[in-house]
Amino acid sequence: MKNIGFSALLTIGLTLSSGQALAQELNDTQLVRTLGRIESAAPAIDIALLVEEASANAGKGVANLPNWQKLSKLSQLIVEIEFENDSVAIEPKSYRTVGLIADALHHPNLRRYKFLVVGHTNATGDANHNLELSAQRANAITEALSTTFAIKPDRLYSIGVGEEWPLDPANPKAAENRRVQLINLGLVK
Amino acid sequence: MTNRLAVFAGAIALAAFALTSASRADSISYADAVSTLANDCGSDIKKYCKGLNLGGGRIQACLEQHAGKVSPTCTMTLANVIASIKQREAAQSSFATVCKHDIAQYCKSVKGEGNVLSCLNKATRVNEGQCGQAIIDAGWR
Repeated sequence: MKNIGFSALLTIGLTLSSGQALAQELNDTQLVRTLGRIESAAPAIDIALLVEEASANAGKGVANLPNWQKLSKLSQLIVEIEFENDSVAIEPKSYRTVGLIADALHHPNLRRYKFLVVGHTNATGDANHNLELSAQRANAITEALSTTFAIKPDRLYSIGVGEEWPLDPANPKAAENRRVQLINLGLVK
Repeated sequence: MTNRLAVFAGAIALAAFALTSASRADSISYADAVSTLANDCGSDIKKYCKGLNLGGGRIQACLEQHAGKVSPTCTMTLANVIASIKQREAAQSSFATVCKHDIAQYCKSVKGEGNVLSCLNKATRVNEGQCGQAIIDAGWR
């Protein structure tokens, strides 16, 4: 519960600020601290199952599915990464956020853990297209992390959930529903 | 502003590093490195590299392909950013070797890399030595 509150705080900071102010709101020390809080009883996550369930429920939402609910129990935070319209290209203004994640994932406190990047869209456009685009974008983030920033690829997983898991279910088209979740999946085996 | 200064200092440090490999260069974070890239190359990236992503060296390749058209500042920044990312990577992977002796001496019973790092950061004698410098270069203090 605490984690969720903290994530929300970070998101608000990110949404309200821009440019250099953003760097002050979110830094890699905060990232390391937030992502490093490990509950001993963290549930195991089956990523293939999540992907399957999201495709089967396109347009219906995943918030009530038990496997997706499990994700909420893990250490995580929410960041905003801007992309070019209908493209997998990360906007240059969001490079810093990806760099911050890289700095955090290289820290000794987090180097033993693997991470899941979950891409979300808002409900503008077709649900299936959103699902596909969010998966490609999440994959673009893990690709950048594993190539440009030299994070070992076996520590990184990505999935897209499109518009199926909004932060603000009452306003599915709200901009805050477009977001990236970074989740600690536990120790690399 | 601070960021620009840091980058400027980084560029000088890198130049110094290139001249005399023995001299020390301050390594900068991945976040600061790509922020400089976004600041100095952002408009060129949007103009010449539309649809291309940061990963897989594609932005670098694209900017190099359009070398005649991208701004001179961007060309210089690109080289510096690539160098500082490599430098940070090298600093992080040298940590275990450089700090081996200090770990054995001051943090022998400590388990886990994160805990070892906190232990080293608390030991004054470590901070003054090579291991301390390695930790700073890795961006872990």
